[in-house]
Amino acid sequence: MRTALAITSVELKRFLADRSNIFFVFVFPLLLVLFIGAQFGGGGGGRVALSGPDSSLTADLAAQLADDDAQVTTVTADDARELVARGRADVSVVVTDEAAAAYDAGDDVAVPLVVGNGAQSQATAQRVQSALDALALERGQLAALTDAGLSAESARQALAAADTALRPARMEITNVSEIAQEFAGLGQFDYGAASQVLLFVFLISLAGSTTLIQSRRLGVTRRTLAAPVTTRQAVAGQALGRLAIATTQGVYIMAASTLLFGVDWGNLALAFLVVVVFGLVAAGAAMVLGSVIDNDAAAGGVGVGVGLVAGALGGAMYPIELFPDSLRTVAHLTPHAWAGQALAEVQRHGAGLVEILPELGVLLGYAAVLLLVGAWVLRRSLARAI
Amino acid sequence: MSSDSSGTTAAPAHQGDVLVVTDVVRRFGDLVAVDGVSFRIAPGETYGLLGPNGAGKTTTISMVAGLLPADAGTITLLGRAVGPRHTDVKRHVGLVPQDLAIYPELSARENLVFFGRLQGMWGRALTARVDEVLEIVGLADRAKDATKEYSGGMKRRLNIGIGLLHQPTLLILDEPTVGVDPQSRNAILESVEALSHEGMAVLYTTHYMEEAERLCDRIAIIDSGRVQAEGTRDELIRLTGELDRIRLTGGGDVPEAAAAVRALDAVASADADRHSVLLAVRDAPTAVAGVVTAATAAGMTLDDVEITRPNLESVFLQLTGKALRD
Ligand SMILES: Nc1ncnc2c1ncn2[C@@H]1O[C@H](COP(=O)(O)OP(=O)(O)OP(=O)(O)O)[C@@H](O)[C@H]1O
Ligand SMILES: [Mg+2]
Repeated sequence: MRTALAITSVELKRFLADRSNIFFVFVFPLLLVLFIGAQFGGGGGGRVALSGPDSSLTADLAAQLADDDAQVTTVTADDARELVARGRADVSVVVTDEAAAAYDAGDDVAVPLVVGNGAQSQATAQRVQSALDALALERGQLAALTDAGLSAESARQALAAADTALRPARMEITNVSEIAQEFAGLGQFDYGAASQVLLFVFLISLAGSTTLIQSRRLGVTRRTLAAPVTTRQAVAGQALGRLAIATTQGVYIMAASTLLFGVDWGNLALAFLVVVVFGLVAAGAAMVLGSVIDNDAAAGGVGVGVGLVAGALGGAMYPIELFPDSLRTVAHLTPHAWAGQALAEVQRHGAGLVEILPELGVLLGYAAVLLLVGAWVLRRSLARAI
Repeated sequence: MSSDSSGTTAAPAHQGDVLVVTDVVRRFGDLVAVDGVSFRIAPGETYGLLGPNGAGKTTTISMVAGLLPADAGTITLLGRAVGPRHTDVKRHVGLVPQDLAIYPELSARENLVFFGRLQGMWGRALTARVDEVLEIVGLADRAKDATKEYSGGMKRRLNIGIGLLHQPTLLILDEPTVGVDPQSRNAILESVEALSHEGMAVLYTTHYMEEAERLCDRIAIIDSGRVQAEGTRDELIRLTGELDRIRLTGGGDVPEAAAAVRALDAVASADADRHSVLLAVRDAPTAVAGVVTAATAAGMTLDDVEITRPNLESVFLQLTGKALRD
């Protein structure tokens, strides 16, 4: 074991000593977390550009949205559309004079929405819709009460009292799509951090498989085998080395995004477990890649390519929840999709170990297959190194 | 001395030989890279494998180091079988590969510590030995720099240091001076000599005959996977039947001097011209005194005496019909 660990530690040391890794391993992932967070906009409620006449509808809608944690910017109609076009707002709402009048009269209200194409836009549009629904409901209730003979003032007071009493129930946003529910309560950087952990753990592991090839080419593999080292120890040391690299990358992004961006991982230990199991998958894949290819530049290219494609397909670049159904099925061929799902369960829904066992099981299956194949091809590659 | 299919080369066993290689064969597909090689190395002995590119030196070494299995034949180190499956016996071998087998991103110290751990060395004993080896190879002041910043000679020296680290019984050096400047080369040769004096058995491959002549107690001339001849330097040269030459230059009675030296036992022939006599002799260093005495007694005044002896290059040429270096 000591011998295997000596190999593990030297692999990790080489990984950390490689200056060209510093940007891609330590800086780039955080930039991407920041970038994705910026797309998601500030706050969980989305960004709404609101324009409209000075009316009770405009005011009530702004208040209702602000209540729901949305960032509301009040601007002219043209500016509202412009903000959405530039991605500075998720949705623009233009309150027309007719809508304002209809609202005051207690009639049906139609308000045009312009929805952007950011990751958060659909969810924000749903929020605006439910805010409007809530306002319409309140109007209707008010009208019903005054019709029943209450004065307008008493009716409002009665509703306000009922509202306070009912508040906990209203916290559960009704009539909102799955997507909005999925991302409800998620911090600005939470999705970005979770997705980049997976993207980079896999990508960096695969790209790092070049060190296996270099060791063979440099003759250090040969020299290692000339020492009293069994093939089993050499393979175990390399497997653990790959896992150490994957875990280092994962822990770094988790720690840095927590400290810098306040990312909430839900149950941290469980999120870490998911990342480590995913790291096993990445380690196995890296062993396979570094053993079957003998040209390190080619392996690096393939590693980055496979890492990016698998990441994109597995929802590590764009939320899988926004994929069309057919693509979502394909996405689940990647380990990223399963790990992403497990992290989402932990991060967004407070899932415990039992709830994510299915995802962990699938990941362990991937890891077992890749590590076995990896050990076998690595063993064979050692013979080529002599 | 090369073995053929009858495999009759197994020399009588000497008690205490460090390494015994007997009729070892290794094929790569149709190519027979090593074709029945046998030799043995005693403690403190430096044994040379001298041969051109592709002769089978590295393949032989790979088998001796337990990296490659032999297709036929046996190898024992300290009486124990050697091969890829015999992990434990590898502890007694230090391999200095032909290619620089060091991690470029890591420092000399980190490289030494890593390979030391593979040899089962740990803690303070390892640190102390690493310091010692850094001194021996003269890299103590650069120990913390990444080895990719080292000169070729420094890398070569570290490459050797790693082989010495665990104080092996048998040190194998595979062309350790290739691509090294003369100064580093001399330092390397000196350290090999020092190790040998300390009692380490050394297996040294090279295609530089000067190195083989200087370092090796015994030499095998290897070509096309076969040992063409084996012995001490002098034994090998005697094999060719070529004699040493002594040239006497000067004045006085040159023809008389030629006749006088021709009469000596050690002298096979002596040809005179106006100012010199060229002699073919057996063992020139011993014979030269008698030759000079006889020539001066016959009336020749000597300005210069020059001895030339056949070298391994000529042995190689005669054995294989080709030059050692291409
Ligand atoms: N792994 C291998 N696969 C196929 N052929 C090989 C292999 N290793 C060596 N050979 C062949 O075996 C022969 C002997 O090679 P070897 O490396 O032992 O020679 P060498 O004496 O060390 O030469 P050099 O001085 O160039 O290092 C060569 O013809 C070489 O091409
Ligand atoms: Mg060689």
